[in-house]
Amino acid sequence: MKRILIIDDVRDRAAWLKASLELAEFDVVGILAWEQVDERSIQAASADVIIVDANAPGRDTLEQISLMSTTLEKPVVVLGAQKDQQSIQEAMRAGVSAYVSHAVQSEDLSGIINVAAARFLEHKRLRDELKEAKSQLVERKLVDRAKGILMADHGYSEPEAYKRMRNMAMSKGKRLSEIAEAIIFAKELSA
Amino acid sequence: MDKPKQEIVIASANAPELNSRRDFMKKTGAILGAAGIMSMVPMGTRSAAWAAGSDAPELKEVNVGFIPLTDCASVVLASVMKFDEKYGIKINVSKEASWAAVRDKMVNGELHAAHVLYGLVYGVHLGIGGQKKDMSVLMTLNNNGQAITLSNQLKDKGATTGATLKKLVDSEKRDYTFAQTFPTGTHAMWLYYWLASYDINPLSDVKTITVPPPQMVANMRIGNMDGFCVGEPWNNRAIYDKIGFTAATTQDIWKDHPEKVLGCTAEFAQKYPNTARALIMAVLEASKYIDDMANRRKVAEIIADKSYVNCPVDVIDQRLAGKYEDGLGKKWNDPNYMKFCNDGAVNFPYLSDGMWFLTQHKRWGLLKEDPDYLAVAKQINRIDLYKQAASQVKVAVPKDVMRTSKLIDGTVWDGKDPKKYAASFKVRA
Repeated sequence: MKRILIIDDVRDRAAWLKASLELAEFDVVGILAWEQVDERSIQAASADVIIVDANAPGRDTLEQISLMSTTLEKPVVVLGAQKDQQSIQEAMRAGVSAYVSHAVQSEDLSGIINVAAARFLEHKRLRDELKEAKSQLVERKLVDRAKGILMADHGYSEPEAYKRMRNMAMSKGKRLSEIAEAIIFAKELSA
Repeated sequence: MDKPKQEIVIASANAPELNSRRDFMKKTGAILGAAGIMSMVPMGTRSAAWAAGSDAPELKEVNVGFIPLTDCASVVLASVMKFDEKYGIKINVSKEASWAAVRDKMVNGELHAAHVLYGLVYGVHLGIGGQKKDMSVLMTLNNNGQAITLSNQLKDKGATTGATLKKLVDSEKRDYTFAQTFPTGTHAMWLYYWLASYDINPLSDVKTITVPPPQMVANMRIGNMDGFCVGEPWNNRAIYDKIGFTAATTQDIWKDHPEKVLGCTAEFAQKYPNTARALIMAVLEASKYIDDMANRRKVAEIIADKSYVNCPVDVIDQRLAGKYEDGLGKKWNDPNYMKFCNDGAVNFPYLSDGMWFLTQHKRWGLLKEDPDYLAVAKQINRIDLYKQAASQVKVAVPKDVMRTSKLIDGTVWDGKDPKKYAASFKVRA
């Protein structure tokens, strides 16, 4: 069940939204006024999805909070931003935020939020994959360099150099890249 | 016929930048026919000939967003003073509540263009904070005219300058909160740069939050923050309301720094180049009008209105006219007041200006890796469109796409080695 936080200064709208969401069996964990929004209150709500009004000035505050704290990255459903369905689709393709028209029916909300959350997760997954790929590349470069040092300085063959590093990593409980880094540092120290 | 032929060569040098080779051929015919006369007409007037015909804007109405700040003036005046009509478009200005809304509405097409923070455009282009969309900068709207305000509570503790603030932060431990207007925006970068130049790390020594410009003063009044960086008139408003004072102007941090730009999506500029040019021309005309100091009072009166900045005329007018007081008793005429044109020195979208924001995004960890600084700036800043527009409204175009600036900490930025520059700062993320 998706946990939802509503941020809205318009109380009856927030109440309507909460009732609609609960009807669709969502768990509305809280309603915040914009002046209550800070890192602590967002953290405390531990929601999966945040719903806000597109025209709220406080949206920039939320941008800073979620950008500066990676643990607080949430899909944000922005209500009332759009004029027509097509632009909603375009906006959703664009990334994190999902944009939903004011004229939306309450029974549509569940699907929309699911879509928003899914889009967000997909985006995050792609970003994480990219990060992972980049760090793997860096690790491989380190290992290659360390292997080269062992081969040049000790006359090991390539498989042997690799095996020694791997054994060391296992016996010390370190990552292979950490051992490689240590070898490179030691070499730089003696150079 | 030798001389006229030469003239045509000049015209054709611009031709690839026009949308249609056929239009060019048609105009070439006209120029050939009138060659004897045309060769005697000054260059500016002559090049206007190609805009009048079938280079007509593809869109008749252009929706342009803005945030209530003094530097929205050129966009607002382009519409209010009907400079737009002269170039065959109607600008519908749209007041927005947040920079996030400005961004979203540009991305989804609800706004064609906007008065927007330089750094925000670059942030969206690179996908900082999630949403990634290719963006364009059509021109710079203004230089200078932002400031850093500290609360009167800090003054009571003796912190009235960067150096005394540093002393206070070091000696009296508590949470110090500073606000800016958008995580990737200009005010965040001015605030961070200023704090860091006094050896205060904006990310670890103090807390930074984001607050929309019109709400800055109210937030300081209720004690939510110790200082903020925002555009005028909100710093002057803090003095007027007796809640804070100006510790530094942004022109102190970087004389003639770039600030707001006329931004749009890359798609808009590609799809509607004539409209983009018309928009630049209309805003350039407004910029020239505003930079005539005789007009500034009138400009203040226009933008003070509830539909625009919604602030007393006098609060806007003072600093717009270069008349500064800092709220501590010092008064001065600032030669580096907010400029909108400065014969084009303001408006040219220098690649070095755009790259500077990338270097600071990198410095503060908003970018994890060094981007291809120059390539990104070249993608975003539409120097081609700007040059064509500027030449038509007789605004001077600088020769170099880079400029050299010396900032408050003495470092020089010339755009030549952005990676090294970004890595050179001691205080960083």
